[in-house]
Amino acid sequence: VSQTSVDPLFKKIKVELPEPSLTDSMDDIERLKMAVRKETGIENLRVSLNTVSNIPGILRKEKWKVTVSLADVLGYTEIAAVESGWDYQKYYGLAIDIGTTTIVVNLVDLESGQTIAQKGSYNQQAVYGDDIISRIVHATEEKNGMEDLRNAVLKSLNELISQLASENHIDINVINYAVCAGNTTMVHLFLGIDPKYIRLEPYTPAINIPEPIRAEEVGLQICKTAWVYCIPGIASYVGGDITSGAQVIGIDKTEKVTLFIDVGTNGEMVLGNQDWLMACACSAGPAFEGGGIKCGMRAMRGAIERLDVISDTLDVEYSTVGGAKPVGVCGSGLIDCIAGMHKAGIIDRTGQFSSNLTNQRIRNGDDGPEYVIVSKENSGNGQDIALSEVDIKNLIRSKGAVFAGIRTMLRKMDLPIEIIEEIIIAGGFGRHISIKDAISIGLLPDAEFEKYKYIGNSSVKGAKMVLLSKTARDEAVQLATKMTYLELSIGNDFMDEYVSALFIPHTDMTLFPSLSE
Amino acid sequence: MGLTGLDIFKQLPKTNCKDCGQATCLAFAMQIAAGKAGLDGCPHVSSAAKEALEAASAPPVALVKIGTGEKEIQLGNETVLFRHDKRFEHPTAITISVNDTEDVAAKVQAVNKLVFDRVGMLFSVNMVAVINASGDAAKFADAVKTAQENTEFPLALCTEDAAAMGAALEVAGSKKPLIYAATAANYEAMAELAKKYECPLAVKGADINELADLSEKVSALGCKQLILDSGAREVNKMLADQTQIRRLAINKRFRPFGYPTIAIVTSEDPVQAVLDASVYISKYAGVVVLSTADPAEILPLITLRLNIYTDPQKPIAVESKLYAVGEPGPDAPVFVTTNFSLTYFCVQGDVEAARIPAYILPVDSDGTSVLTAWAAGKLTPDSITELIKKSGIEDKVNHKKLILPGGVAVLSGKLAEISGWEVLVGPYDSGGIPSFLKQRWV
Repeated sequence: VSQTSVDPLFKKIKVELPEPSLTDSMDDIERLKMAVRKETGIENLRVSLNTVSNIPGILRKEKWKVTVSLADVLGYTEIAAVESGWDYQKYYGLAIDIGTTTIVVNLVDLESGQTIAQKGSYNQQAVYGDDIISRIVHATEEKNGMEDLRNAVLKSLNELISQLASENHIDINVINYAVCAGNTTMVHLFLGIDPKYIRLEPYTPAINIPEPIRAEEVGLQICKTAWVYCIPGIASYVGGDITSGAQVIGIDKTEKVTLFIDVGTNGEMVLGNQDWLMACACSAGPAFEGGGIKCGMRAMRGAIERLDVISDTLDVEYSTVGGAKPVGVCGSGLIDCIAGMHKAGIIDRTGQFSSNLTNQRIRNGDDGPEYVIVSKENSGNGQDIALSEVDIKNLIRSKGAVFAGIRTMLRKMDLPIEIIEEIIIAGGFGRHISIKDAISIGLLPDAEFEKYKYIGNSSVKGAKMVLLSKTARDEAVQLATKMTYLELSIGNDFMDEYVSALFIPHTDMTLFPSLSE
Repeated sequence: MGLTGLDIFKQLPKTNCKDCGQATCLAFAMQIAAGKAGLDGCPHVSSAAKEALEAASAPPVALVKIGTGEKEIQLGNETVLFRHDKRFEHPTAITISVNDTEDVAAKVQAVNKLVFDRVGMLFSVNMVAVINASGDAAKFADAVKTAQENTEFPLALCTEDAAAMGAALEVAGSKKPLIYAATAANYEAMAELAKKYECPLAVKGADINELADLSEKVSALGCKQLILDSGAREVNKMLADQTQIRRLAINKRFRPFGYPTIAIVTSEDPVQAVLDASVYISKYAGVVVLSTADPAEILPLITLRLNIYTDPQKPIAVESKLYAVGEPGPDAPVFVTTNFSLTYFCVQGDVEAARIPAYILPVDSDGTSVLTAWAAGKLTPDSITELIKKSGIEDKVNHKKLILPGGVAVLSGKLAEISGWEVLVGPYDSGGIPSFLKQRWV
């Protein structure tokens, strides 16, 4: 994780202005600007009418000693407020991750750079659809659809902000800057921008690099004149959340060829290093977040996160989040489970159940054959936890899409898979993703374990980084601008790779040399 | 081997200014590597970089033009041995020959009529080759004049007699005909003529070794618009030569073979002639010359050429039309899906497994799956309704019930409204079709 010094997008500075005289009768604002310029070296300063209106009294009240609030707006610095004297109120900022499913807000003390508190909740847009496509459809096809979605995300955010403010005894008016990271659709819906053409060929968003906007205009309940800045995105399905994550890992500052994968519904990934960067979204689907799998769930209390299938008895050993009685299986457990079932011969390379195995754990369910991981006597919700053939095929499609995405990017550049020196995984897996099992089902490339790192929610980390550093903000824009988006629906490359990856681990076993040893 | 996107990218200015129409320099580099953009798209590339790239990215097979105006033929710029590796660029020019001893006007007019409608577009032969069969220069020039007056197709002038060629070029030289051919005996005179009239020149060797030698000599004389003839006339020899020429040009960057080729069909038997020409179209020939103007013999070649030169970088899709599984009667169920082949064959397999004859309507979704097509707005009540109308299903069944994939249940209301059909929401997975039919249909 790269470190940048604290030079936040909003800060307060103390200045003392030279007193005017008959030989120095410069106007108040010019006098103020000169003093700020001298103190900070910032050339391009602007002042709003709001600030100018009371300036003569404020400057003179404490004998030309004032505290000046400076807000960085892309391209210029705004004198956001002027207070008399050098005793000033504390000031704060927000780092926000607007996820499709979950929203996370960090309250940050802009003077120290410390996160005071963090809160998360579900995105209330979910009532209009679980995925971004359903929400775009709602926004563009239903009456007032756009307003529904905008209000839902604002409600989620404002509730979190008001809780954070009251629990930490601060006034929402001292929250002076907010930086948001979200996928392209989330940013459009949050700012009230028509998202219609994001999903229609040739998949063009209205805007990738939004300018800072006043909180009042956005509808965010913090200081009205505060600025809200959204981290720039790259294309329709690779947004600011990925730019943010890529910046946190410093992918554009290393010589090492790095692969950054967010194993989530959109399956965004970035490949490259300081010289070149490429990004794509492989639409893996929500299977590894527990979606579309009967016994699947997020990495919450009671989720099976590690699992072993004993080859001869077909019994299961497992551990759950929080050590609670099991109620379902989260992403990391699902990966272990398929790997174990394949190793034990319960399923073949296509994910089909073997017809000549008889065991009490294997039975015929509503969706065809299934394997009982935990029987209802031992589960936390009185129901069997079982993985069916339909579930397994669904997971194979998801893992196939991720691997095909990686291969397609390499193919476009004519690079071998061995070129990758570092692989950084983000996503909601829980703490215990087994790289070994992920490789053995063909989700991740067959590289040395040391190359792998798991990073968690990199999106909100990046938002905080930008909030606390102008340099980081400028770099984020640079990063987004130089990232090359690969549209996977053009040409056959992705489809060929995808079909080849619909096996455990792959049709081409030479890609997984460690498994054939 | 061509340059990779990364090699090209290293030479670009890395400004990401978008002046080339691409979002980033890397995207532009990938377009160049794929042969979809030229370096001149970038106004900021340095001259040093240009030099480095142009030398390395020069096409392994030169682009050669024959004729002028609308019917101009472009050949070459090929980069692969197999179409699935990228694509074949410039379709083979199908050429019909006429001897100066026959009724040139009649034959040429027959050639003009070789225009065919394939998939809604018109395709034709490309060139007329006038052969100096009489050995008489004046007669040859006369035949060339008649041919030129009767067709807009470019001409190939075929004689090894430089004097006869000179006379013919006086008639037709301004229209850039193909000069056929320079041989070991006459190449200096022929090269002179090619330069004088700025015409493409065919080079004919007794075998592939002599061809390489001759190509180098002619090129040294300043002729760069060449067409190669290895002298082979039997199909097996021709196949070997064509393969060698293309392979050496691409894999070894052997410059003397860096030009399009010409293949001459000599078989008297029309079936054999068409079969030979088919081999040449499939295997790298730039120009194929036949003597027949019989539409029944030309149509299969036109079709084969269209298929072979189709860009394979397209999604894997089945044709969007009505399909019958088994022998469905008027009571048979009707399934809607998309034309992505994986999707279509899953549905078809599961419908077959149900042992109930049925109809399937795959909507043209550009080869995307049901949910992908829905997400991208390609599987809509409108597109389904349009297919119902177009497919003729309304005349095949006596009911108006459609079965929609469970994943796009949200479309059912609007679809029923627009199409006027009753919409049944089927199972999410096509694996559920057999039990769905048992419960809901029979």
